[in-house]
Amino acid sequence: MRYYRPVTTVEAVAALASEPQTSRILVGGTDLLVALRHKAVQPKLVVDIKGVQDLSAPITVDDEGITFGPTATMSDVVAHPVVREWFPALVEAAVVVGSVAIRNRASLIANSANGSPAADTSPPLVALSASVTIASVSGERTVPLREFFLASRSTLCGPGEMVISMRVPRPAPGSSSAFERMTRRRGVDLATCSVGAVVDGNGAMTVGLGAVGPTTLQGGPVAPVDLSSQDEMQRAIEALVATATPIADVRAGKPYRTAMIRVLTRRALLRAAGRRNDRGALPDVLGGSSSSTIQADPTIGRRSS
Amino acid sequence: MTDKEKRTDVAQQTIDDVALQTIDDERAMTGAPLDSEQADALAGRLQGGVKQGHGSGGAASATVGASIRRYGGDDRVTGHQKFLSDLRFTGAAEATLVTLPVACATITKIDTSRAAEMPGVIAVVSAADLPQPVPRFGISHQDRPVLADGEVLYHGEPVVAVVAETLDQAESAAREVEVTFDERSGVFDLEQALESGAPLVRDPSLRPADDENRDSNVLETALYEWGDNSAAADGADVVVENTYTFPMVTHFPIEPGGTVAVPTDSGGLDIYSPVQHPYLLQRTIAKVVGLPLAQVRVFAPDPGGAFGGKQNPKLEPLLAFLALRTGRACRLVLSLEQTFQMMRRAACRVKARTGFTTDGALVFHDLECDYLIGAYADVAPRVMTKGSYVAAGPYRIPNARTAARAVMSNTTPSTAFRGFGSPQVAWATESQMDAGARQLGLDALQVRQRNLVNEGEAFFRGPYEATADGQWHQSLEKAAELIGWGQPLAPNRGRGIAVAIKPGATSGLSQSLVRFLADGSAIAYAGTSDMGQGARTLWQQILAHELGTPLDKVRVISGDTGIVPFDLQTSASRSTVFMGNAVLEACLDIRQRVLALYAEATGVDAAALSEAPGVLVTPDGEMPLLEASRVALGALGGEFVGQGTARRQGRKGHPLGGDAAFYEFNCTAIEVEVDFETGELLLHKHVSVSDVGTELNPLQVISQDEGASIMGLGHSQMEQLLVDDHGVIRNLGALDYRIPTFKDVPVELITHGVENHDGPGPYGSKGMSEGALLCTSGALGSAVSDAIGMPVRDLPLTPERVWTTLNQAGAQPGGGEADT
Repeated sequence: MRYYRPVTTVEAVAALASEPQTSRILVGGTDLLVALRHKAVQPKLVVDIKGVQDLSAPITVDDEGITFGPTATMSDVVAHPVVREWFPALVEAAVVVGSVAIRNRASLIANSANGSPAADTSPPLVALSASVTIASVSGERTVPLREFFLASRSTLCGPGEMVISMRVPRPAPGSSSAFERMTRRRGVDLATCSVGAVVDGNGAMTVGLGAVGPTTLQGGPVAPVDLSSQDEMQRAIEALVATATPIADVRAGKPYRTAMIRVLTRRALLRAAGRRNDRGALPDVLGGSSSSTIQADPTIGRRSS
Repeated sequence: MTDKEKRTDVAQQTIDDVALQTIDDERAMTGAPLDSEQADALAGRLQGGVKQGHGSGGAASATVGASIRRYGGDDRVTGHQKFLSDLRFTGAAEATLVTLPVACATITKIDTSRAAEMPGVIAVVSAADLPQPVPRFGISHQDRPVLADGEVLYHGEPVVAVVAETLDQAESAAREVEVTFDERSGVFDLEQALESGAPLVRDPSLRPADDENRDSNVLETALYEWGDNSAAADGADVVVENTYTFPMVTHFPIEPGGTVAVPTDSGGLDIYSPVQHPYLLQRTIAKVVGLPLAQVRVFAPDPGGAFGGKQNPKLEPLLAFLALRTGRACRLVLSLEQTFQMMRRAACRVKARTGFTTDGALVFHDLECDYLIGAYADVAPRVMTKGSYVAAGPYRIPNARTAARAVMSNTTPSTAFRGFGSPQVAWATESQMDAGARQLGLDALQVRQRNLVNEGEAFFRGPYEATADGQWHQSLEKAAELIGWGQPLAPNRGRGIAVAIKPGATSGLSQSLVRFLADGSAIAYAGTSDMGQGARTLWQQILAHELGTPLDKVRVISGDTGIVPFDLQTSASRSTVFMGNAVLEACLDIRQRVLALYAEATGVDAAALSEAPGVLVTPDGEMPLLEASRVALGALGGEFVGQGTARRQGRKGHPLGGDAAFYEFNCTAIEVEVDFETGELLLHKHVSVSDVGTELNPLQVISQDEGASIMGLGHSQMEQLLVDDHGVIRNLGALDYRIPTFKDVPVELITHGVENHDGPGPYGSKGMSEGALLCTSGALGSAVSDAIGMPVRDLPLTPERVWTTLNQAGAQPGGGEADT
């Protein structure tokens, strides 16, 4: 295996083009290094793009949105004040990826580019209408993230290509978002299923759904409903999760996933809707666990009697 | 009972403050040896000191009973401690294993020719390259082959070992080994294994002709029975009958471990392996490869967690053969995934039928316990017999029958695991107590108060009766108090309480040497493996106390069969009692020797002298032991060497081979909140109260109790090994086999030790490292049932399982004690 650390994007994509089927991009390494160690992948060439000088900066804010570069880490995302204000769902997802050490290394873009249907940050990004720009020796193209995912571990970023930036448009006034995830334990875990929900100013609802299909799925948008009406909410939720095709695997059975995607969707919608008049109200410290209604704040001690 | 308040604050104090704390109970300081024979000898000597008013002489008394920080703890937390994989061996070759992607198969051909020609390869070894017949080893059954012998019986059983100059070379060559095999139908759960006509894990021809179970997968059985259940059943006012299951779980030591075998110049072997029983490993290796014990030296670096999984030899015999064959040091470091294929706890299914009177008294208790063990016996039959021995629980039961079976399957061989078969059966019995209570309109506390035995009362009846060796009601009441039993509950919450016992070691032998050096420093040689429980700290404390030596001048040497005297094993929470008494006796031996030599050197009549912790008592008053030893040794100098032995013989005819040296008793109480939409649990409060005798080191007692509590939540809430139709472990590794993290521990976790100084160990101590996980499941199940208003009978209580239970029938949010 050859390790190559280019300094320009042109060099990077040229290297990838030279070994299109047998090269791998290294950014955070939180997936790749584990796979290499377990020999799950055995590339001939590893292209480490952390030294590329002309990459997009990790986080760039303008009036219309935010552009993320490949080296933006989950910790960067969680700590950024504008990201926190505009995209609370993304922050809630980023803060439950792996553990602190993983979040300090893991790349936001790579979390989507990896193509896992259980990726934590993809559902909110899909719901937030993110797009990605893909580069290769033949040029660049930009595609909506919801169209980016083709199948499990398969995306529009093909052999010889790399995602060089991700753009998330500034939310329309009066809209907000929230993220909900189901896991088997409160500590570090992979999603059993997850939902990123966006509710806009007039109440239209969009969701991104994780781990209930071969890829991250988009649901909606659906028209505004009376949030206090069980029936209307139920109909909206059914429409939003209509694309979900949950399966049974080692993490959960199909009936449970089928039920949970609905529970999470409702919870995420209600939180996003409630948040619309409360912009920027993300708590300073987000727990690294799923945002279920009950939260552990463990203290261990021996109490004198 | 000792006032606990000052002791419970100990953890928060600095070491200096703590050093001033002593156990001021005279009973605590007199020590209590193991056997009656030893008791007389040892207690006589101890009391000699006490009577003369020197029971807690000198500065040394500040050490026993204080929260001394862990011996070697700084290295452990700063990463300086050398675990097996940190050890470097000049010229060591690396070994790797070839396994099959199925659990059960007949091997038809092994082609190693291409692998043997790969770069760096030193040897490619299959069963055909070993002495024939292929050597087998084991504890009660010598059934495990050094390498797969024509068949594999579980997923991960090694078929071929490759030795090469580097690990990469070994792994590359391993991929070139061609194993041709025919997959066979295997049995992977109890239903499959017990079905009539089920494929047999063990060929009947390999079993004794008079074995009535030889044509089945039942390897061994146990039957414990007293009274007459069928006659008694008529007299019961309420009878509850249910089936409970407990999953296969794995130990998940943070250090996977491994083995390095080094051929010595004299034709012997040095074996490095982080094991709990170095002397058992020494014996096994000597026997399998045909060397005298003196030619096999086992070095046991501190295991980074073991929990029973590192007791019995597994791959060490293979590494021994590889080293002898290649003449090279051979090194194999395991992955976490491989440890899943080396060790696990037996799954268990218990069919229970229990009768009560209207006032909640147990009338009869009938249990059929099937333990799902693995493809080789390991120590699993013993887990079945010892676990089911206490299956009926610590209760007053006039009629009981426990029929237990160890059922083989094509899965990882199950072995000892913290609790040793007790947690599985306690889950059933504690759930039955609740089931009875619900029908009777009693609460979970009341039914236990009604039936729990008092000190000295039998919970196991018949010719080999076992009685409560502690005041267990104190633990029950304390736990109830700490959980706030009877107080109003918030919505969606429930409270549960459970108790359980586990027999300690039934026989044992621990030997220790202590050297008291010329400058007053001391060395203890004690073979207990320190795998995180902090055994060495206790020996350090005992030496400091008994010899009057500052803690920082005490060294402890373990983990080397070449220089440390024999210790049977580090298991069953025995070491405080067994090795503790051996170390204590070695210290007393030293004091006696100092006394005798002092009398000789000074001409003072020995009868006018006595000794006490840290001092020699002369007609002129107390003299520090160090000073007395200098006078005694005179111009030649030198040192004193003391020897101590703790031996407990078994008892002929006893179903466990002997009476337990002590029982671990625990009461756990939990308050849980249930998310009715998702099935998620939030433990608001978790209380564990253990009957510990005497806390020699409260800080270590707390950490053992907390660790066991959290480990118990693992198998109660989330842990389970899942296998597919080929017997392949589906959640092999940390990604999908989940253990609790610190985010999963209860909001409030409270542990408490009841001290009555009534244990057989030094100063009235008992073993206590397993108690807190014995009934975690029972307490959690009880709490969840209370919250949702319906029983749960299968573990683990994952969100999905709780949700499924809720959706099977119309559950109602709870709140308030069950049935009140």
